[in-house]
Formats: sequence, C-alpha cells, structure tokens
Amino acid sequence: MGIFLCDCGGSLKNIDFPKISGDLEKLEDVAFIDISHSLCLEEGEKAITSRILSENINRVVIAACSPELREHKFVRLLEGLRFNPSLLSLANIREQCSWTREGDVTEKATELIRMAMGKARLLQPVERESVSVNKEVLVLGGGFSGMKSALELSRLGIRTTIVEGKSTLGGKLKEVEGFYGLKTSPKQMLDSMITAIEKDNNIEVLTSAEVTRVRGEVGDFDITIRGGRKEFSLSFGAIIFATGYRTEILPQDFELKPGGNIISQLDLVEMLRAPEKLKRRPETIGFILDVCDENSRLPTLSSLNNALAVREKLGSEVYVFCKNLKVDSEGAEELYREARNRGVVFLKFDEPPQIYCEDGRVAIEAKDVLLGEEVVLPCDLLVAEERALPPEGTKGLSSMLNIGTDFQGFYQDENVHLYSAASARKGMFFVGGCRGNLDLRRALTDIASAVMGSYSLLALGEAVVEVEKVRVDPEKCRACLTCIRVCPHGAVQLVRLDTEKEVAQIYDLACDGCGICSALCPAKAIDFKGYADEQILAEVEAMGETNERR
Amino acid sequence: MNVDNNKIVAFCCANSAYQAADKAGKMRLCYPDNVRIIRVPCAGRVDVVHILKAFEKGAAGVLVMGCQEGACQHLTGNTRAKERLKYAGDLLKEVGIDRERVKMVNLAPDMAQKFICEIEVMMEKIKEA
Repeated sequence: MGIFLCDCGGSLKNIDFPKISGDLEKLEDVAFIDISHSLCLEEGEKAITSRILSENINRVVIAACSPELREHKFVRLLEGLRFNPSLLSLANIREQCSWTREGDVTEKATELIRMAMGKARLLQPVERESVSVNKEVLVLGGGFSGMKSALELSRLGIRTTIVEGKSTLGGKLKEVEGFYGLKTSPKQMLDSMITAIEKDNNIEVLTSAEVTRVRGEVGDFDITIRGGRKEFSLSFGAIIFATGYRTEILPQDFELKPGGNIISQLDLVEMLRAPEKLKRRPETIGFILDVCDENSRLPTLSSLNNALAVREKLGSEVYVFCKNLKVDSEGAEELYREARNRGVVFLKFDEPPQIYCEDGRVAIEAKDVLLGEEVVLPCDLLVAEERALPPEGTKGLSSMLNIGTDFQGFYQDENVHLYSAASARKGMFFVGGCRGNLDLRRALTDIASAVMGSYSLLALGEAVVEVEKVRVDPEKCRACLTCIRVCPHGAVQLVRLDTEKEVAQIYDLACDGCGICSALCPAKAIDFKGYADEQILAEVEAMGETNERR
Repeated sequence: MNVDNNKIVAFCCANSAYQAADKAGKMRLCYPDNVRIIRVPCAGRVDVVHILKAFEKGAAGVLVMGCQEGACQHLTGNTRAKERLKYAGDLLKEVGIDRERVKMVNLAPDMAQKFICEIEVMMEKIKEA
C-alpha cells in the first residue's frame, strides 16, 4: 500500500505530517509514505506517477482535500498509469479535519487515514469496459415536443422513430388559435415541422400506433409497437416521452354542465376558425380563471391568446374573471398588457364567483376586490377554465416503468438531482406537457436537455461501464425479487441460469450505484465494490485503532 | 467522560450531507473533533449492521445524513434509511441504549449550519446521559 499525504501547499499547519508518517510507517502493509505540498498540481502528479511506476504497490491511499473536489482527477491519473482506480481510497483531511478547528488535529487526521487504509485493504478491482449501445431513439408522441425532439436529434445525426397514437402529427398545436407575440401562427409552425420531418431521412413516423410493452435497459430497449392490426418489436437506445397532456372541464369545478352557453377553449377556437358559420355574433364573452387550479399557467396563456383572438375576429366585449393572473411565462406580461390595451376587461375576485343561467344567458356574480362591489355580468358565452391533466394511461405506464409522478399525476416529479427532463431510469426522458403545466418556452428547454442527454449517452455507439461494480452472487441469490422491487433505476432483472435456477442480475449501464439493493438484500448476496459491507465496516472498525491494537 | 468514548459516527450521503460537511469546513465553522464521517453513495446504502458496528466500536451516537425528503437522487434512498433507522432504534432499545442515539437527518448540500447544529444536538444528548 502506498500512502500520499498532501499538506495543501503547507497551509494545513495544524496537522503534524512527519508525526503521522512516522506513526503509520511502522505498519507492515505500508510500502511508503510520501508527503507532498500539492498533489493536485503538475509536480504532485509527477511524484505520484514516478512512485507508482517504480514501487510494486496494489493499493493507494491519498490523504488530501475532499474527494468531491479532486477524486475524478486522481482517478484519471491512475487510469493513465494503468493502475486500477477502484483500488484508490481517499481521506478527507482538509475540509473535514484541518479546517474544522484552530488547534492541533493530528490525531483525528491519523484516524481518518487509518479509516481510509482499512477500507483500502478490502477494495477489489473493478474493470472498465466499453459496451455497444443502440444509437436509435424512440420518441413517444407526435406533438410539438415530440416533433421538435426528433428534428433536433436528426440534426445531430441520430435516427429517431416517432410513434403517434392519432392518425396525424400535431397534437395540441392543432388546437391553438394563435400565439400572440410570436410571428408564426401555430398552423405555419406545424406545417413547416411536418414538411421537415417528411424530408428527413433520419426520422420515421408511425401514426395510429401505440407502444404496448417496454423491456430492456438503456442502450437496448426492446419496444413492442402495435400499429393497426400488426404488432412488432423494435430496439432503441433511449426513449423520449412527449405524450403531452389533456384538458378537461371537470364537473366538480363547474356545477353547470358544459355545452350550450358554457364552452371550452377548444369550442371557442373552432368558432373563431369559422366565424361566418355562427348564427348570431356573441355580444359579450366571459372567461373564467383560477377557479379550480391556482397553478394555472397553460389555461392563463390560452385564455389571454383566445381573448385577443375574440377581440380581433368577433369584436365582442371580453371580460376575464381571475384571482391572481399568473404571467410567469416569457411574454405573458406583454400579452396581458396587449389584451388590456385592446379592451379586454379583467375583474379580480377573491371568493369563487357564482355562475347561473338567466334568460338563455350565463350570469357571473362575483365581488370585485378592486372596485369593492358586487358585479353581475350576463354574457352570451362563458369560456370555462380547463384543467391540464396527464394523458390517459399515465398511471399504468409510470408504474410499469417505475417512474415517479408528481401530486397531479404528471411524470417526473421535481427532483434537484435529475435534470429537468432526465428520469431515474437512465435513457428515459420526459419532455413538454407530460411533465406538467409547461409553456412553449419551458418545453423547448426540456427538449434541449433531453436531446443533449440522449446524444451524450448514445452518440458514440458505445458506453464505458464499470463491469460488475454491483454484482449479485448467483450462489447466494434466492430470487426473492427484493432488489428488483426496490431498484429506483430499474437496473435489476431476473435471468435464468443454465440450470433450473433463476437469479437477479444487475445491468451495469443502467445501474447508478446507490447501493439500496445491497443494503436491503435479505440474503446479503449483492456485493457493491467500493461500498461493500466489509469495506464500510472496516472504516468503522478503524476508529480509535492504534498500531498495537490492529 | 473520556472524549474517546464520545465518538459520533455520521454516515453521509455523497450527494448532500457529505458536501454539507465539506462546506462547514470551507466556512471554517468549528465543530467537535469526535465526529467521524463515512461517505456513502446514498443514505439508502446504510444498513442496520453498519450502525450496530459503530456502537460496538464505542460510538456514542450515530447520525445517518441524507438528502431532503423528496429530493433523493435515487428517489427512495432517504426514506428507506429512515425506516431502517427505526428498526435499528428498536434493537438498541432492547440492549439498553437510548434509541435517540441514532438519528436520521435530512440535509441539502448547502446546509452546513444545520449539519453542525445536528452534531451539537447529538453531543448534548450524549452528555445528558
């Protein structure tokens, strides 16, 4: 075992390095102890290099700053020297020792190094290997997010297949009347995207198709797709979910059933597309917001857009009843100002308004907090607030894929450790509406990160894995399925050995190395190299150890 | 009481609590010398046997420090650790050790103050006995 001590340019004055070195040198398994001033700089690297090449050592202990800062650097250095970096153990004698106290901490530092040595003795080598991965990506859903992801990936030279449940591409883009503030209309946008996709050789489109089964792991997903009456299997390296959202007017939000005078946004859009078909031009139109959902980003945007479209095409009087108008999307504030300038009247309520029918019109009764007066407004049409809900089948799919959902049932709850679009399953990304109340701008951010994520996973056609870093011992495994149940990354599978026996097996590429399975396995059959039970116990045991007591 | 008998073992999740401990050092916040931090990839890696071993080796208290609830990179690691700690507490109670001596702490990587605060709380508890 070789030990390198670093005094960080002589700044760790409260540690007596010669004393530590003298103390530990006496141990049988220590080949040498080097004291350096700067292991992280070039001269330090040179010192490590020459020592490792000249001495015959099989474990390295480095006592320096936090592994969070420099571990990757030492790992890369050792890799270059053909010394297996998994045989490296680090002791944090700067952040967690020297800097925690003014006075002398030599004793604590020695103990930390002993703990690292205890662990190092039991470390086992982990080989690195590159495995081939499938470079194709499956995009589920042919709406804006799905099409955009496919186009972006195609630009990077990655082949994609779009699977869309409906007969045509477009999704929600078909149901929007206009984007005020954007020069292109949704129709233009949709048409240009569809033409680009048709021209693109890298993109294949399967419409009226659905995915019925997802198997396998990142790099090699085995997907069963049903299109028409046929069912077939395809292999993909990664999956981008862009399944969108659906909107609904829930009966518990509005006691009056929609239909007649109470209409949805989509009904209004259809009306606006063919205003000449209307028997009678509606004189007043009311919009209502914030009744069912405080977090109503999408309904707010579509109401503002549609209110402006009504003013432009029908010229009716428009009143928007809202509580706290949310303008957190980019351009929404401008949209709101534009609406006010064009004569849309906003009324702010505190208590939910009363809605009732009167003489074939809908009356809205609310107390306006700015006027401080009751307002009763009879309208010809009331556009009800819709809830954005996760698409049908989300619940089943999320439990099948072991993917979390948030409190509203959308995919991919907010998790600080995962990028906005990545999920706990490596190689599965969630973008756009299926992740919740996302406007176009946010969806674009999602798409960018999902495209980047899948590109970095697959672009080379191969990925480097640490082979059997976490390994199930087939002798000990009783196939109780605990690990398969608890693995947050879906990296464990049951495989049949050549005998009758079935055992769990961990897929290296999908494994994220959390060790939950290894802690929970009742048969203690899962060995986690680097954080194995014995290694953690050895660290604990080294506490308070002295040369004699070892 | 001898300081040596008062050791606290802190199993720290590399994604959060370990970084909080580093941050405490970077901020030059002083905390007792008797804390031994063991880095684990996730709080969910900590098993009952690790905790009991720490007590066997003379630790007076064990802290398992993981991410905030709902912010675990491995989704359920911290909640599983919490459940496991309850079980470890039951075992400790049976052998006559105060079950409060083992505690789950949820931290974010920047919560250096809370890291130290939790250690001090544990120290108080140990001194009381």
